[in-house]
Amino acid sequence: MTVSSEQELMLTQRANHLVRQARLAAAVFTQYSQEKVDKIVRAMTAAAIENAGKLALMAHQETRMGVTEDKILKNLVASEFLYHQIKDKRSVGITREFPDLNMVEVAEPMGVIFALAPVTNPTSTVIFKSICCAKTRNTVIFSAHLMAAESSNYAAKIMYEAALAAGAPKGFITWVDKSSRLRRTSELLMSHPEVDLIFATGGTQMVKAAYSSGKPALGVGPGNTPVYVHKSANVLSAAMDIIISKTFDNGTECPSEQTLVIDREVSEQLLNEFKRLGCHLCTQEEVEKVADLIIDSRSGGINYKLVGQPANLIADQAGLNITQPIKMLLCPLNGELRHHKLAIEKLMPVLGYVIVDSVNEGINKALDINYAGGTGHTAGIFCEDDDVIERFSDAINAGRIIVNSPASIGGLGGVYNHLNTTLSFGCGTGGGNITTDNVGIKNLINFKRVPRRRNYVISFQTTKNIYINPGSIDHLKSLKCQSAFIITSRSASRRGHLAQVTERLPQDCQVDIFSDMGPEPDFAMIQRVVAAMRHSQPDTVIALGGGSVLDAAKIVRLFYDYPELKISEIAVNFLDFHHRMIEFPKDMKTQLVAIPTTSGTGSEVTPFAVLKDGHRKISLIDECLLPDVAIIDAHLTRSLPADITGDTAFDALTHALEALVSTFSSDYTDGLALEALRLIFESLPETLKNPNNVLYRHKLHNAATLAGMAIGNASVGVNHALAHALGARFDIPHGRANGAFLLSTIEYNAQIPSKFVSIPCYPLWVADRKYARAAQFIGLTVEPIEGETEEAKGLRLVHKLRQAVYDLAKLAKQPLSIAELGIPLETYMAAIPELTEIAFSDMSIRTNPRYTLAPEVAQLFANAYAPRERP
Amino acid sequence: MAEPTKETRKLEKIRILGELERGLDDVDKVLATGKTDIELDFSACTFISVDGLEWLEEFLLRADSLKSSVKFVNVQSPVYKVFKVAHIDSLMRACGSPSQDAQGLVC
Repeated sequence: MTVSSEQELMLTQRANHLVRQARLAAAVFTQYSQEKVDKIVRAMTAAAIENAGKLALMAHQETRMGVTEDKILKNLVASEFLYHQIKDKRSVGITREFPDLNMVEVAEPMGVIFALAPVTNPTSTVIFKSICCAKTRNTVIFSAHLMAAESSNYAAKIMYEAALAAGAPKGFITWVDKSSRLRRTSELLMSHPEVDLIFATGGTQMVKAAYSSGKPALGVGPGNTPVYVHKSANVLSAAMDIIISKTFDNGTECPSEQTLVIDREVSEQLLNEFKRLGCHLCTQEEVEKVADLIIDSRSGGINYKLVGQPANLIADQAGLNITQPIKMLLCPLNGELRHHKLAIEKLMPVLGYVIVDSVNEGINKALDINYAGGTGHTAGIFCEDDDVIERFSDAINAGRIIVNSPASIGGLGGVYNHLNTTLSFGCGTGGGNITTDNVGIKNLINFKRVPRRRNYVISFQTTKNIYINPGSIDHLKSLKCQSAFIITSRSASRRGHLAQVTERLPQDCQVDIFSDMGPEPDFAMIQRVVAAMRHSQPDTVIALGGGSVLDAAKIVRLFYDYPELKISEIAVNFLDFHHRMIEFPKDMKTQLVAIPTTSGTGSEVTPFAVLKDGHRKISLIDECLLPDVAIIDAHLTRSLPADITGDTAFDALTHALEALVSTFSSDYTDGLALEALRLIFESLPETLKNPNNVLYRHKLHNAATLAGMAIGNASVGVNHALAHALGARFDIPHGRANGAFLLSTIEYNAQIPSKFVSIPCYPLWVADRKYARAAQFIGLTVEPIEGETEEAKGLRLVHKLRQAVYDLAKLAKQPLSIAELGIPLETYMAAIPELTEIAFSDMSIRTNPRYTLAPEVAQLFANAYAPRERP
Repeated sequence: MAEPTKETRKLEKIRILGELERGLDDVDKVLATGKTDIELDFSACTFISVDGLEWLEEFLLRADSLKSSVKFVNVQSPVYKVFKVAHIDSLMRACGSPSQDAQGLVC
């Protein structure tokens, strides 16, 4: 074995030993309670405060950088101020609760952290990171800068002993001993598989190495802080703050000011104040001398021998003839700022400045500095104008923009502001980091989010005033309206319904009529009616007719009240009503009275309106579409032909069945759907036998409205998606189209789905049980079979229900297949791909209890063609 | 003295009570007889320290060299999580769990 490989083995063993200690401690730490952790943190903080002076002195003596008194302050900020900020924060168990979101966050330690400590802050960084790690139940292995390893490691030892005495796990803090192989050991640790996170605060090379290790790393970027002194600033106070900041620890703090950008209006006053307070304003010749000294001519970077050195020493070495003590050197950066040698980070009391003539120029110059090696780090502004501060903050890319305070101590957080106290400044992507945070305990916790199932709010809405008995059309006599616009169809006019309405309206009510509403109108028709309404300026719209008329009237009223709406924008499909992107108006201005003359759609009580759009139908859905008044007068249906009675009744039947099993169904809609079913099975046969019997017409009319209320809140399902597509493609009346699929879709939905619907309000697939319940509710029974499961019995009831639907259809001469609708097989089969695409994107399908896959839609279409036998 | 055969070995069930802060002499003594398989019952173990972990690891090593079988049973979740985070394969094996890492022990 060669000497070097022996050394490498020793270093590897040393690294393994450190990591093993940290790993075991991390494991044990997982058991600690918040109280136990807080006790350790308190003890460590007290130890840091007690030793702040000693550690500061050690750091200064070892590094020969900075100012001991300032290092004491840093140690105190890293302990006392940090403690003040974190002492009451939860870092174990549930750390935050979000009652509105039904969610909590739970803390998980990150594990073993390998932490770097820089030469500029060798003890304060160790204090800070140790306390943060204790608070978050992480363990930490420190690697100090070689020039500061003794003080850093001593700080680590003090923190560890205090922690251990307070009950921390053995090995919670470890460190790499000072040696000539320190750097190599650090490299081994960075890439060690048992290290979970690298917390890198240090020189660019070490930070880069940390990021290159392939491990998660919290790094920092280089700084180059521009500070804009706006003309509105309190100049004298700004001068003192800048001196405090730039001379703090002789400028070793990376957030400290590097270049001032001064508005001309205040420049003389500010520079004079600097001079009065003991700063030296360099001449152009002196600037050259300073630049030649502090800038490494080969690299263009800083001369590290001068980092943290006092201003007089720098002045002497630069050959400036300054005899009196000075606080800092101020260098005017004339010429092109972007190329000036001193427009970089100068970690010493040397401060550049430029004078500008406008806010725009000021921000641009600050950006020049900001993007010259310090992107994402820190910037400052002295200004009393909030608009300027906002413009500056918007433009500058810095994780912390310190306002009217010293940038260095301000950046540390907790002293001049409420930033998190830190010794590690995240610089975001501008500085090659993942965060712009003042890195602290929240960056050292894996937050586990524990979301409870969403409480899905389901409401029930319907038309406010519903008049439900035969003869209720008389309500029109007391209708509050001065100008009514009646929308109706020719057949309603022909059947005398229009006259019944106009006769009952108040004498003083002006009446205009549009009686040319055809079946399944398109948007052009809607626009025609809206245009007609603009002339008469009605306060009430009366919709008299079947579902198409009522739906059209809803849309007409919407566009009459809100002409700025665009149909393409409000007809946008959605997955979930609560999350949909479109917004409808909240209040309608014109009253809508809906008077159905068929017993089918239930449109008089639904928030839906369907419109034909070429070969497809578009649905508008919103509460604002609900009519204000519905008049359910069965007398208006007495003259309804048998075929339309059957068609529309089957529409209502489909509504009831689909609402019952919908994923949005509720106890409210179930009751309505079941009663609607019962009324249809009871009254349709009687109505067909005796069309003039108003009692059964009344029951059928009510059934349609009840089913309408059910779908108005629970919506429909796949049957409607299929029917919409078929109806639009082949001009099939809606009720007939529904009936053609009904036996197939009951059978389909009653089977265990190939894919379940993922929606929080539907926690259990119950479609089969609901169909069985419907069967029982309409009086169907099955003979008990000994030993039969409930599920098997339920399926027999579903079978009975399908038989009952078949029998009712036959009685009402309703087609139960596509073939019966007269569509040729070849034409139909050729249309299936298009029908499938349209049906699959129909919103009705979203509330189907079975997640309907596209091939299943195609299969449902295909299966619906052949004439049906009784199930 | 001949080694006890499988048939003659006894199974000693030992309950770890409270906090496992350090090695347990009584358990060490049982193992030292070399004639026993051991089942450590963790149902009443409420905490485990670094020393406790190190003792368990060493105990398993000794048991292995004595060809004694050691099983951990009724390990409560907080302690089981300590074993998981510790990444010590022998502890996981004693719990009857698979190794966590295909690489095996790293440190």
